[in-house]
Amino acid sequence: MKKLLQKIPKWIQILTFLAVFGIVRAPFEDDLRMRLVSNGILLPPPAKDALGQLNQSALMGTLGGLRSIVSSYLVLEAFDHFSLKEWEELRSDYRVITALEPRDENHWRNVVWHIGINATANMEVDEKIPEFERMRRFNEYAVGAIELAEEGLGQNPDSAIIRLQLAEVYKEKLNDPCETARVYGEMIGLPDSPGYAKRFHGYYLAQCPGRENSAYDHLIRLYRESENNHLPSLIIHIKDLEKKLDIPFALRIPDPYPPLPGQGRAKPENPDGIPDFTDPAPK
Amino acid sequence: MSDEAITPRAPGKKIPIFSVTRVWTIAMSTVTQLVRMKTFYFLLAFALLLLVVGNVSFASSPAQALSTLKKVSFGAIDLFAWLFAIVATALLIPRDIEDRTLYTILSKPVRRGEYLLGKLAGVLVVIGVSLAVMFVICSIMIIWKQVGYMADEQAGGGRKEDIAASLALIAKNGFRIELAAAAYASFLKAAVVAAVTILLSTFASSSLFTIIISILVFLVGHAHSMATDYWLRVTDNSMAVLMVLKIFKIVIPNFQLFSFSEGIVTGAALAPGVLWQMTWLTAGYLVVFIFISLIAFVDKEF
Repeated sequence: MKKLLQKIPKWIQILTFLAVFGIVRAPFEDDLRMRLVSNGILLPPPAKDALGQLNQSALMGTLGGLRSIVSSYLVLEAFDHFSLKEWEELRSDYRVITALEPRDENHWRNVVWHIGINATANMEVDEKIPEFERMRRFNEYAVGAIELAEEGLGQNPDSAIIRLQLAEVYKEKLNDPCETARVYGEMIGLPDSPGYAKRFHGYYLAQCPGRENSAYDHLIRLYRESENNHLPSLIIHIKDLEKKLDIPFALRIPDPYPPLPGQGRAKPENPDGIPDFTDPAPK
Repeated sequence: MSDEAITPRAPGKKIPIFSVTRVWTIAMSTVTQLVRMKTFYFLLAFALLLLVVGNVSFASSPAQALSTLKKVSFGAIDLFAWLFAIVATALLIPRDIEDRTLYTILSKPVRRGEYLLGKLAGVLVVIGVSLAVMFVICSIMIIWKQVGYMADEQAGGGRKEDIAASLALIAKNGFRIELAAAAYASFLKAAVVAAVTILLSTFASSSLFTIIISILVFLVGHAHSMATDYWLRVTDNSMAVLMVLKIFKIVIPNFQLFSFSEGIVTGAALAPGVLWQMTWLTAGYLVVFIFISLIAFVDKEF
């Protein structure tokens, strides 16, 4: 046996052992890889369309297992684009970042914030751009931010922070209380959902035409749930809905801000920072 | 010549086929050799990097700042581990030949397999110690920033439930004990890389060649699962391409599998048994690659 082995060239022996080991380990590795990817421990390969967008260093980083370092560098670069108001470059950077780390909800939240809030705000005030172009880009950025948020939610279905940012775009930029209410509604019960999501769902539902009954049911349930929920905004919204829906007096909640003689109700000014949807907003 | 009777020497002590003590001795001399190369100075650079990243404020929220800090520091840990494994391993055998230390070692009752194993163990000890120190530095930095952000959040005021939500988000992106598993993942990856480099250095003509080829093998090993999907799509599932890819898959280790530290750092929960499975897989790689290295090294003449 020893003599036989001595007759076989070394490189053939080495390749044979490598091949045998490879054949033995391949099925185990494939199975393990699938399990790790499905558990979210191993990051899936970047999407095919994203591979084409990677520059040389990003591609090398991806191949070299340095995705997190490359994506952190690109976040810095994107921040630079944000400072210079280079929105297209910023979006392009985040395309790569989110392709490299699709399960990092912070990246999705950031790109939705940059494109949906910052870029649109810039279009509202940048007078160097003709107005028709500003309006076109405003809409394009707002819709683009929504698409990015939906894409991010596809990758992170339980993300509250992406939904939080999406709701901001709907309420701040598109003045769409129905969609805002829908997004806040989806946040209820999610792991990192803020406590105010339940209330905000009701507030925006109250402003969505045709959804007043659902809004009233939701808000009154919150009101009865705990005294901690007896907040000025909640009470104001319930009182407004009671009037709008003509709720019998016996069923109405007590008014903590009774109307003063000869004046309207002593309503606090926008206590929860809810925007007034009657204001004209850029489209 | 004198007629003196030659007294027969007492029969030599039988040398065991394998001795852990001999392997450990070589490992410790390798550690000394690497420490003299001022390897641990890298830790200063690492600590400096963390200080910079931890104090540069470009993130939009504390949670994101912590997430970035974690990703950069564990990315640097991973980079250090595999790069060090390649460079240190590639330098060791040629250095021993150059210094003629190898002749001294192999003239003693030390088997070549023990020599290779000792060299590998020495590199792994240095990598292990470095990773442990880097993990501690990194944990201190993350906890320090996390505590600071939490204190700011509490001092900021607001409704109790909102503060609690913010604190929970910071905690989620802050320090978790699972991060130790991320550092361990980098160690496992470095161990396989070192074993591959030892194999290459047993028949390579120079350290530079070993380093370049090892990096190439590492990149290919990292990319082949990604490249498989891409090339098969581009070539419309060509049989020839499929065969070439299969050969790559069989011969070159799958390094992408060892990159699970990235998932842990971004917050994925560690599935039970994963660490054991990865440890066993790494052990398999080490045994096989040392054995194959021995085939190339056993009767190599210097």
